[in-house]
Amino acid sequence: MSRLGMFVDRKTLSSAEQLTALIHCRDVAEMLGHSVEFIFPVDIHRIPQMDALFIRARTDPMNVTYVAARMASFHGIPVIDDPRSIQVCSDKINMYCQLMKRGVAIPRTVFLSRHEISPGKADELFGDMGSPLVIKEPSTSFSLRVEKVHDATEFLKVARRFSKLSDWIVVQQFVESVYDWRIGVLGGELLYACKYTIPTATFKIQASVNGHVVYCDVLSVPPEEVPPDVLTLGLEAGKAIGDGLYGVDIKKSGDHACVIEVNDNPSLESGEDAHYPLVYQKIVAHLLGA
Amino acid sequence: MGARKDSLLVKDQMYLVPRAGVTHVVSENYSYKSDTYYAILSQETKGVAVEPSSQSVLDANIVPICLEKARLAGIEVCDWGISHSYVPFPALLYGINYFASSSDYHPVAGPDETKAAIRHVTNCGKYPFCYQGLGEGDYIHRVHSIFGGVSTGDAGISRLAGEVYDLFRIPLQTLVVRERDGEYAFSSLAPCRYSALTRDEKAALQAYIEHQEFL
Repeated sequence: MSRLGMFVDRKTLSSAEQLTALIHCRDVAEMLGHSVEFIFPVDIHRIPQMDALFIRARTDPMNVTYVAARMASFHGIPVIDDPRSIQVCSDKINMYCQLMKRGVAIPRTVFLSRHEISPGKADELFGDMGSPLVIKEPSTSFSLRVEKVHDATEFLKVARRFSKLSDWIVVQQFVESVYDWRIGVLGGELLYACKYTIPTATFKIQASVNGHVVYCDVLSVPPEEVPPDVLTLGLEAGKAIGDGLYGVDIKKSGDHACVIEVNDNPSLESGEDAHYPLVYQKIVAHLLGA
Repeated sequence: MGARKDSLLVKDQMYLVPRAGVTHVVSENYSYKSDTYYAILSQETKGVAVEPSSQSVLDANIVPICLEKARLAGIEVCDWGISHSYVPFPALLYGINYFASSSDYHPVAGPDETKAAIRHVTNCGKYPFCYQGLGEGDYIHRVHSIFGGVSTGDAGISRLAGEVYDLFRIPLQTLVVRERDGEYAFSSLAPCRYSALTRDEKAALQAYIEHQEFL
């Protein structure tokens, strides 16, 4: 019997859906003969006593989840999400660098230093990549700090705002789609697939519209119904980042599919795995062995 | 001569110094998502050997990781813990969140100042924080480290600075060190502004950047 630590924070436990998913994961691990302990930030010194660690809290190199991941790696303990995956996926600049390096299809993308933000540069980018453009602050998550801009005035306003949070920002060609594919990848293999249907009022999977938060609809899709090019691209993108657990967002427009982003710590509590009953068994087996 | 040397170290300027097959990145600010961080990342993506690495920079910026990495390397470090609210005082407090900097530490000794400091480092209770216990008579030193070299004549601090540089490979940093009964323990690594350096420290750093000497 092995000891699986599940690293959570107060925010994880404040969501009924996440709590249900955590309990499901614990039940699966126990059914496989392992013991499960919830690890909170104040318990971080207990991580070396675990045989594996599964982080279920919003990851970022600047928060305590990265401390947990790094503690596990210092002590040779298998961990999802591993520190490198957190470092890469939490920073869109780093993430797109890794995808570009391995030739994974992404929309046309430019990194802009705060020193380069100018009306002339905005005109040049609209000329090169068309309108609208999408500007992303590198540590965006849940579509926060991702904005569509239509002209140089909007561009400068958003770019200057984001550059207060990061010295570099991402400028990207806009790709229109009704839904995003989400390919769940674990250890380079398909874990699950689903569609995130974009709310009509926005272009993001989550947004605030007139003061109300709107979410995308989630539809789990069985593997045989996933277009082969989407599946292949999802697996390539996952492998470009590492050997861990990723949710790869893909837009398909006509015959062309491209990766919008690769997420570590992907959501598993909104029905993404409805057609994939073995998701947690596979995660536990990946961490602790079959 | 002093004025000319001072003029090379320009505020916010980063210097890439190739030496023996490695590009050393000298900067006042190695923080996450800074120009320096992305310069390091660019070099790594191109496959260029660069020091410090982006991972080392992150490790150094986050106090509990910095201390655990140092402890595992055999460096004497301060005991630390993570809390949301409670902390035995006296203690040294560091934030663990987006807005925290290891240069912004808070020594606390009484309940009221502890409460106020915790409110500050946790952004009103939103985030956990790191604490290090202090004892009666403890003293906190801040020492500039330039490629592991320090201007103090104290052998204990000099040795500690060398060990910390060998581990993190960050050319310019401020070491925060706790002294207790003549013994030193590593507390954190903080950024170091060029303007905070002494004349001799500036000269040493400039010499390195200009390839005049190997430190």
